[in-house]
Parts: sequence; C-alpha cells; structure tokens
Amino acid sequence: MIKVALAGQPNCGKSTIFNLVSGIHQHVANYPGVTVDKKVGRFDYKDKKIEIVDLPGTYSFSSYSLEERVAKDFLYDESPDIIVNIVDASNIKRHLYLTFQLLEIGIPVVIVLNMMDVASRRGIYIDAPKIQEMLGAPVVCASGAKGEGGEAIMEAIVLAYQQKEQYQNFKINYEELEAFIHEIEAEIAEVNVPLNRRWLAIKILEEDKALVEKLGDNFTYLQEKAKACEERFHATYDKDISAFLAAIRYDSADVIFHKCVKVTKSHEETLTDKVDKIVLNRWLAFPILLLVMFLVYELSIVYGYKLTDYTWPLLAMFKNFVIDILPEPDLIRVPMMTDLSIWMVNSAIALINYIPIFFILFALIAIMEDVGYMPRLAFILDKVFKKFGLHGQSTLPLVLGGAMVGGCAVPGVMSTKGIADERARMATILAVPYMNCLAKVPFYTLLLGAFFKEEMGLMMFYISTVTLFIALIVSKLLTSTVLKNRETAPFVMELPPYHLPTFKGVIIRSAQRVWVYINKVVTIVLAVAIVLFAMLQFPGLSEESQQKYDEKIVQALSTFDTKVKKSSYYERVDTKEEVSALINYYDNYKAKRMVVSGAEGAKSVDESFLKKDAKLFIFVKPENDKDAKMINSALRQISNVRKDVLRQIKNEKIENSFLGMVGHSMEPVTQFAGFDWKINVAFLSSFAARESAVATLGSLYENNKADSKRAEEAMYENSGYTPLHAVAIIIFMILTPPCIATMIVVKMQSNSYKWMFFAIFFPITLGVIISSFLFSFGSVAGWSGVEAMSYFYVVVVFLALFLGLIPNRQNGWLGGFKHKSS
Amino acid sequence: MHLGELRKGQKCTLVNIHGAGKLKQKLLDMGFIFGVDIEVVREAPLYDPMELRIQNYLVSLRRNEATLLEVKVL
Ligand SMILES: Nc1nc2c(ncn2[C@@H]2O[C@H](COP(=O)(O)OP(=O)(O)O)[C@@H](O)[C@H]2O)c(=O)[nH]1
Ligand SMILES: [Mg+2]
Repeated sequence: MIKVALAGQPNCGKSTIFNLVSGIHQHVANYPGVTVDKKVGRFDYKDKKIEIVDLPGTYSFSSYSLEERVAKDFLYDESPDIIVNIVDASNIKRHLYLTFQLLEIGIPVVIVLNMMDVASRRGIYIDAPKIQEMLGAPVVCASGAKGEGGEAIMEAIVLAYQQKEQYQNFKINYEELEAFIHEIEAEIAEVNVPLNRRWLAIKILEEDKALVEKLGDNFTYLQEKAKACEERFHATYDKDISAFLAAIRYDSADVIFHKCVKVTKSHEETLTDKVDKIVLNRWLAFPILLLVMFLVYELSIVYGYKLTDYTWPLLAMFKNFVIDILPEPDLIRVPMMTDLSIWMVNSAIALINYIPIFFILFALIAIMEDVGYMPRLAFILDKVFKKFGLHGQSTLPLVLGGAMVGGCAVPGVMSTKGIADERARMATILAVPYMNCLAKVPFYTLLLGAFFKEEMGLMMFYISTVTLFIALIVSKLLTSTVLKNRETAPFVMELPPYHLPTFKGVIIRSAQRVWVYINKVVTIVLAVAIVLFAMLQFPGLSEESQQKYDEKIVQALSTFDTKVKKSSYYERVDTKEEVSALINYYDNYKAKRMVVSGAEGAKSVDESFLKKDAKLFIFVKPENDKDAKMINSALRQISNVRKDVLRQIKNEKIENSFLGMVGHSMEPVTQFAGFDWKINVAFLSSFAARESAVATLGSLYENNKADSKRAEEAMYENSGYTPLHAVAIIIFMILTPPCIATMIVVKMQSNSYKWMFFAIFFPITLGVIISSFLFSFGSVAGWSGVEAMSYFYVVVVFLALFLGLIPNRQNGWLGGFKHKSS
Repeated sequence: MHLGELRKGQKCTLVNIHGAGKLKQKLLDMGFIFGVDIEVVREAPLYDPMELRIQNYLVSLRRNEATLLEVKVL
C-alpha cells in the first residue's frame, strides 16, 4: 500500500482534491489526543492500493500552531511514502514557501498546481515543466473544483512511488547558516530515524522542542546547543535564525516565480477585491452580516423546523410500529418492557428529529467556510468579541447556539473547531451552552402561558436576548480566571479569495458532521435515557397503593358489567380478559384516529381496525345499533377511569422514585429559589433531552380529572406558584446546564472530562444562587414577576457592558511587546 | 513608525518585527519578512483589526499586534 500525505496551505483546495481522488471512500477520525480532524481516504489505481491522509492546512512547518504540530507529528511518526503538496496556482509565490519546507523533509513530493482555472482567468501563466525541472519534483496541473486533474495526480503518485529509490534529497543552500547545520547534523548522525538528518538539524536550529523530545532523552542537550547557535549566529550576522530561514525560503520561491510564471494582466482588480468592497464596507458590513446570519437562521432553524413536519410523521410511524409489536397492558398493569421501549423510542426520536435542522446547518456552514466568508465574519466582529475574551470567529458558534429565538448548542460547540486562539476557543465552547436552546422554548411557553399571559411578548424578548449577555459575561469571567493562562493567538488571519464551493464537497462535509452527531451523541444519550428511566421507575408503588388502584379498577369493571348486562352482545364482554382487550382496542383506535386527518385517513383506520377484529369494531363505532351503543358508552367511561388511574400511578411512581427522592432531598436548598420537588424532578429528568421537562411537568400537573384542560391552565391552577416562582424557574432554566448531547460535544471539543464537568456544575451553581437571590429578595420586597425579570435583565446587561471595558491580557504572543514597554 | 499608526490606503515596507516567539514565527510564515511591501487595504468597520495586502494576498491583523511591526512609509 502506498501511504500518501496531502499537505498544503489553507484554502489551496486540499479537501477538494482529497474528495476528487478518494471519492466517498473516506472516514474521519481525530489525530491522537487532539480535536483536529484526520480524514483518511482509500482508493485503488492501477492495481496499487493508495491510502491518502488529509493533513491540516498549515502555512509553515514550525511547530507553533496545533495544526502544524499535528501535521509534523504525522510525517514524523507515520513516515508516509509520498507527500502530495497542493499549491494554489493563482497565488503561487506564497504557497511555494511551504513547498520548500516539504521538499527538505526527505520524502518524495508531488506538486499539484491547483486552481489553474483561477490562474488563467487572472492572466497567470505557469511553466510547469520548468518548475518540475528546477525543483526535481513532478508537477501536475489541476482544477479541483472542476474535477480536472484527479487521474494525473494518481498517475504521478504511483510513478513517484515506483521511482522512490532514485529520489535524491532536495537541498536549499542556506549560506551563512550552513556551518551551523553541519554542526548539528554531526551531533545526530547516529539517531535511528527514517527522516532526513539535514531536515532534523534545521528543525533543531529552529528550536523545535517537540521534535528534539522525539529524539529521546539522550538528545535533550541539543536544545541548549540550538540556543547557543542562535546567539552565535546573531552575534556574527545580526540576524535571527528564524527570520533568516524565512527570508531564504521566500527568496527561493521568488526565484521560481520569476523564472516560471508570467503575469499578463497587470494589477487588475480581482473579483475578491470587488466583493470585499461591499462585504467589508464600513456601512454595509453589519447589515450584510445580519442578513447572512438571518438567512442561516431562517433556512436552518425555521425552515429546518418546518421540514421536521415532514420527517416527524415518519418518526411517529416508527413509534407506532414499535408500540404495535409491544405487549399490551392488562388493565392498569403495564408491562415494564412496554414502558421502557416507549421511553427509549421517545428519547431517540426527540434527538433524531433534529437531523434535518443539523444537516441544513452544517451544509450552510460548509458553504460559508468554502466561500471564504468565515474569516470575514471574524474580521468584522473581532473588536466586540475580543473585549469578552472571545474571538471574531466566535460569532458563528454563538449564533448557532441561539442568538435569536432559539438555536442548538450542539452544532454551536461543534463549530468552534476552527478558532485559532486556544483561550477564545475554550471560552466559546463553555459560553455557547448559555445561549437560548430551542428545546427550552416550549418550557418557557408553558410557564409564560400559565403566569404571564399579558406580558408574554416582553418576557420572551427578555429571555431570548438576555442569553447573549450571560454568555458574554461567562466568557469574560472564565477568560480572566480559570482560562487566564491559556494560549492566545495573534489575529494574523488570511482573508482568502472568494471561491464557489462544490456541491460534492459541501454534501460530504455536512454528512460527515451529521454522522458524528448520530454516532457519538445519540448513542450516549440513549444510554443515559435508560438510567433515567430506571431512576424514575424504581422502587415503584407500595403494596397498599397497588391494592388501592386494583380496587378502583375492579370497581370500574363491575360498574361496566352492570351497565352492559342487558346488551345482546354481552357474551363478547363478559370476562375480565375480554374487557381488557376491548379497552386496549378502543384506546388504540382513538390514538390512531388522532393522528390521521380527513375522511380518507379516517376510512383507512376504520378498515384496518375492522379487519383486525370485526366483532369488537361495532362497539367502537356502533352507528345505530342500540345494544352496541350501550357498550360503547360504558366503554368510554371505563377507558377514562383507566386513564385516570394510570396517571395517578405514574405520579405516585415518580414521587416515590429515586429521582423523586433526589428531588425531595434537594428541596431544602432549592426552596430559596421557590422550587418544589416537582420542578426539581422536571429539571433532573430533562437531562437527556430538554424536551422532557415539559412532558414531565405536564404530567405532574395534569389535574387528575380526565378533562382536557390545557397544560398551561392546569399548571396555573394546580401548582400554587406565583409569577415570581415562575421567574425563578425561568432564570434557572436559562442558566441550567446543557443537555447531555451538548455535554458530549463539549467533551469532544475541549478534549477533557474536567471541562465537561465544569460545564455542568458551574451553571447549576450560578442558577441556584441567582434564582434563590431573586426569589428570596423578590418575595420580601414584594416584586411582581415582570419586575423581577426586568431587574435581572437590566443588571445582566449592565454587568456585561461594564466587564467589556476591562481589558484582557494576551498571553505568550506578545512577548516582544512586554520586552519593549519594560 | 509602526504599522498600527497607518491608515487606509497607505503603503509601507517592513523594517523590523519587535515580537518574539510564536507571534514572530507566525508573522514570518505569513510573509512578513524584512523589506516586504505592505499596503493597508482597509480597516474593519469598527476600525480594528486592519486588512493588509502583502505578497499579493490579504491578511488581517489587530492593531495592537500591528504596533509591533516597525515600518517605513512609502
Ligand atoms: N475555481 C476553483 N475553485 C476551487 C478549486 N479547488 C478548490 N476550489 C474551491 O476553493 C474553496 C476551498 O477549497 P477547500 O478544498 O475547502 O480548501 P482547503 O482549505 O485547502 O481544504 C472551495 O470553495 C472550493 O470549491 C479549483 O481548482 N478551482
Ligand atoms: Mg480543507
């Protein structure tokens, strides 16, 4: 097998070429220990198996950034057979800077001049054979986005592999530095590595610590030696080694440029210049940015949500199918198996339901990345976010997390990957979960509907805008405390030329990200759902209660019996088993009728139930049959009694369950915030998926009369809460820790369980403290709900603005700055 | 004079980098080598960061980082 590493500077079209040669035979993993994507593709060409790895895009091979470290480690540890270096032909001089560093490594390099279409559009003519001759490396021309050049690249790889033995190491003459290189080379003459010693020597002179450590304990002295060399070099020539090397490499690139490239159209305004004049215009930049964010939001969250109207029936069908094959309840005894399965299916489809939204979202992100808008977004907003320890690149994660009416922290946290500044990246990961989660919205609606009917609009405005300020405050607090000493990065960011994305590239990337979600998130959430289920089920009902409910149903049975005795169909319903089956049949029928609409649908349900059991159907739909009507009315009654009893059982089970006990035991603390055990349980049970908070509260407050009161009214009448209670609950919900799905992506992106736990417990603490303070103080001061919320809002906004004024420290990168000012 | 003082449309050549370590290496790798021509293409809508054309491509730099680059205005 031929092992190939794909290297190149960012935006050279590396991923496009990768997709071109490997098709969809690719899989994504992480490089060991870090969160950088490692894409591996496999394909066959002329009986040769080829494995190609997409290295992260890097401008250089010094080991300062994570991407460079990862790329270099890969070359060092895996020693691939061939390096394919993608070069943006329209910007060849800068890209050759990296090419020279790759050539030095000692592994045969195949140079791919990509974006030839752009180059010729700009009147750039490149003499490829001449470059090939000058660099001693095969040069292939390609236009990845147009699908041109794939074949030639594979051909060149195979050829280079076959001629590997004849490969001669490439050397740049570093003039004044040569003596030093020879000196270090002599020191490492005995090291047993497959790489070029000259390259190692140069790296050591660049004070590449990581590399020296790889050589083993015997060579740590080389670090000292490199420092000594640097000092000597500086003393003799008054230059730094790093600046000297960079200058020579640029000069070399310049030589190639002048000998092999002709630019015919001199300094014409490019398309990128024209577009930037509008997109980055002082007055237009913000409106355009808002428009783009609005579109992203509208297309993914709003439109994607509408799309779930179409996918939801499919999921409901799946759910019904599962329910159909599960054992049916025997009056009030529901088999555990049935309960568990329904709970699991509900948890699963709550998450799967988001897939259309995520897919659209990821596709839009991929488009913005490929077009080149992302760095521009960062450019426009950096000044604001910098004040809160964030980065211009934090914009998108925050928007996805729910800058408007509601978003989702999962894609938000997942999109923090590209943030170059480590401290800002961590702060963003930890701040995004505070944004307004879409799944919390029904919960707010329930509470607002119950307690703030009049002021609903104002309250919703408070809720959805306060979240951004909270996120900013949190990130400011974290970056000036626990994250204070994290690495920061300078804002030296390329604004790449605009490119049209390829359909294939966008689809592949968004599908890969959705797959990560399904693979990592859904599976773990389901595991947690099982645990939660057990905690809500056990220890279950007490002996007496069970008896009490049994008696109720026995009584209902005998009432039913007396009512239907005179019916001519009596022998069809004269045993307990028959009645039980009939009630199930009736309830199933009602449930099915609920979900279909129109005469057509009703007819098909009727037909299927008629086919299932013609003898029972007549009691469900008695038409004008008097005797059947008699049974129908008794049936309706006993069905309602059963529903009622089942609900009571459920409530009692929850109250007695382990989770209920935990909820009770938390009351001493949470009472200051006005939370009773029911609210506590609702919060605890919503851990797997936010949606279940509403369901749990709904079922806890349903008045046990089986009328069809709306959940809002039921809550208002039965809970005994005041609007102030509701505000405390809402504020806690705003601050409440992320759902498990978010937690898993926080773990993935921060690569640490410590931060994951921090992301759980910090908001809980904050939430309890703030809600308690507001509730206790508000009770004494006699605030109304709206008053309390308004005070909270004003304080948060002012705090955020105030914190924004305190400057943040930049770490490490400004070493020279401190030097200068001291 | 340093790069941070320049306004939109001005051009200069790089004389020296007063940074060290990572920042310096990063700048070198992005093409900020001595003697190179730099043009301030525009400032961000909020005046920071600034967009530069260097070696025929576009790079953005925060003003406080730009103060580390000693330049000679052309
Ligand atoms: N016109 C043109 N665009 C290309 C070509 N190759 C890639 N692109 C586009 O350039 C952008 C960046 O490509 P990508 O493969 O993501 O670059 P990477 O950052 O190096 O992985 C995408 O929008 C591509 O569609 C090409 O040969 N010609
Ligand atoms: Mg890529």
